[in-house]
Amino acid sequence: MDVRQRSPLTAAITLAALVFLFLPLALVVLFSFHKTGGLSFPFTGFSLRWYRDTFGSFEFREALKNSAIVAVCVSVVTLLLGTLAAYGISRSSSRLRAPVGLLFFLPITLPGLFVGIAMLVFLRRVGFELSLLTVAIAHFVYTFPYFLLIAKATLDRLDPALEEAAADLGASPFKVFRKVTLPQVWPILVGATSLAFALSFDEFIITFFVIGSDSTLPMFIWSSLRRTIDPSINVISTMLMLITLLLWVFAFVFTLRAGRRRTPAVDPILGEGA
Amino acid sequence: MSHHLVLEDVTHRYGREVAVDQVSLAIEEGELVTLLGPSGCGKTTLLRIVAGFVRPSEGRVLLEGRDVTRTAAYRRPVNMVFQRSTLFPHLDVFENVAFGLRIAGVPRGEVAGRVTEALALVRLHGFDRRRAHELSGGQLQRVALARALVNRPKVLLLDEPLSALDLKIRLEMEAELRRVHRETGATFVYVTHDQREALALSDRLVVLNDGRVEQIGTPDEIYRTPASPFAARFVGDANVIPVEVVGADGSSATVALGELRLATRRPDGVGTGPAWLVVRPEVVRLAQNEAAGVGGIVRDLAFRGTGFSYRVDVPGLPDPIKAEMSAETAPPVDVGSDVRVTWDPAACGLLPRDATRD
Repeated sequence: MDVRQRSPLTAAITLAALVFLFLPLALVVLFSFHKTGGLSFPFTGFSLRWYRDTFGSFEFREALKNSAIVAVCVSVVTLLLGTLAAYGISRSSSRLRAPVGLLFFLPITLPGLFVGIAMLVFLRRVGFELSLLTVAIAHFVYTFPYFLLIAKATLDRLDPALEEAAADLGASPFKVFRKVTLPQVWPILVGATSLAFALSFDEFIITFFVIGSDSTLPMFIWSSLRRTIDPSINVISTMLMLITLLLWVFAFVFTLRAGRRRTPAVDPILGEGA
Repeated sequence: MSHHLVLEDVTHRYGREVAVDQVSLAIEEGELVTLLGPSGCGKTTLLRIVAGFVRPSEGRVLLEGRDVTRTAAYRRPVNMVFQRSTLFPHLDVFENVAFGLRIAGVPRGEVAGRVTEALALVRLHGFDRRRAHELSGGQLQRVALARALVNRPKVLLLDEPLSALDLKIRLEMEAELRRVHRETGATFVYVTHDQREALALSDRLVVLNDGRVEQIGTPDEIYRTPASPFAARFVGDANVIPVEVVGADGSSATVALGELRLATRRPDGVGTGPAWLVVRPEVVRLAQNEAAGVGGIVRDLAFRGTGFSYRVDVPGLPDPIKAEMSAETAPPVDVGSDVRVTWDPAACGLLPRDATRD
């Protein structure tokens, strides 16, 4: 018998918390299908008209395209530079290894407002015109620490003896990375890249400072809110949520699968994790 | 200069710590040489210096007369079997063994043949498509052995490859290693802290202590005539007893142990004065109701299958005397009994002792 108490009160609190978390989201989704322009109850019936309207809007399509361009560029650059940085820090024997690693993570702790203002001032000072490029640069600063955190943790967990064994078998440092390190960590890197994509795709605060005259999806929602309030906002929010959710699920499943693939690396002799 | 692998005055420091201190060695082609010593004696560092993972602070490493001290690990024609399994988890057995050949650009057709041959050598026929997690500890080390030997290294380095295995598998693998060494004729440098394993496997032993070479010789030489108290204790688990040489005459000497006078063989370089008497446990006899030898009290008794091993406290001696007695020749002596301890003087060794140091 399960010794843990199953109190109805615990169940009620859990349920209330879940409702509190997800009911607003559910309402946003629900009203995106509203027949009329109303954003609150009573709900008068289903319709796809707001979806038709939204997808028919040039501004929306433009914002979606911009968001996608920025997110793709940011995630590719994050993947490349983040992997190099994580590998470098993880394999370094320098005494500065820990402090340098910490410096790279630091932007995570900074408020978006601060990063946004700092990026704006800096990018203007060095002569950048505000554009999607400045957005991408600022997003990179934001996504890089998250990627690095995951990638470095993964690389740190790998058994360094495997890389040593590969070098012993004649593999140059580059071949060691390509033939031994990368095959073991790439699913996690792909997962972390899709997180970077998701982070960039729905980033608002930093974007707000460095966007210039272009628009991204979150910016489009914000500016629409200031003009009219109708269910097309709900449509865009639902789309944004759906894309982000799919990416997180993809990242999660990929990382999980990689975790399962890694289990065989547990040393059957010593029973230690590799 | 026809030696196969030569270490010249190799010294290595980690910060201020001296891990390897002025080690010189010459290893012949086809030899199985063991570096033996307790943990922290520098044996693994020495092996890693040969592999190229560690660059020595001083000294040179010569392979077939060529100085490889500054050559990176991946450019050295030596391969290593590690203490723990280092099979690549994302590759199956075949691809693990083929790894070095593929890196070296060996033609595809030849790779298959050589991998099959290497797996047959370690008796893992038909394991090609297995992965690391489907293999036992012993099998993993066999694959590691095949993966190293398939490259036909000039020297095969083995870093305590059996230490993580159960005793039964370990004994089996020792026999396998001897066979593989015989069949390939390759040069093996083997690191272990297990003196039994070292004696069983090696053509020659290098006994290391505190980063220095204590003695180099065949297992038989080191076991019978240890050159230092450390070698005597570590290799033969011998009793090393401080005595005074009171008479030296040609090849025999008389030593004083308390009131007792014992005749023994006198090696070169031992004159009168303080010395160490080396007595291996299996030549020690314990007797009751006798007057010979020195008196002591049995402190510990352990059954060893073929016999009993004892530790006997003898007044005036710093360490208890260890004795191994066959179960057939003598009935066990209980713990706490008064016994007389004797040994065959002809089977003892004598080593010089610096009374001011020891």
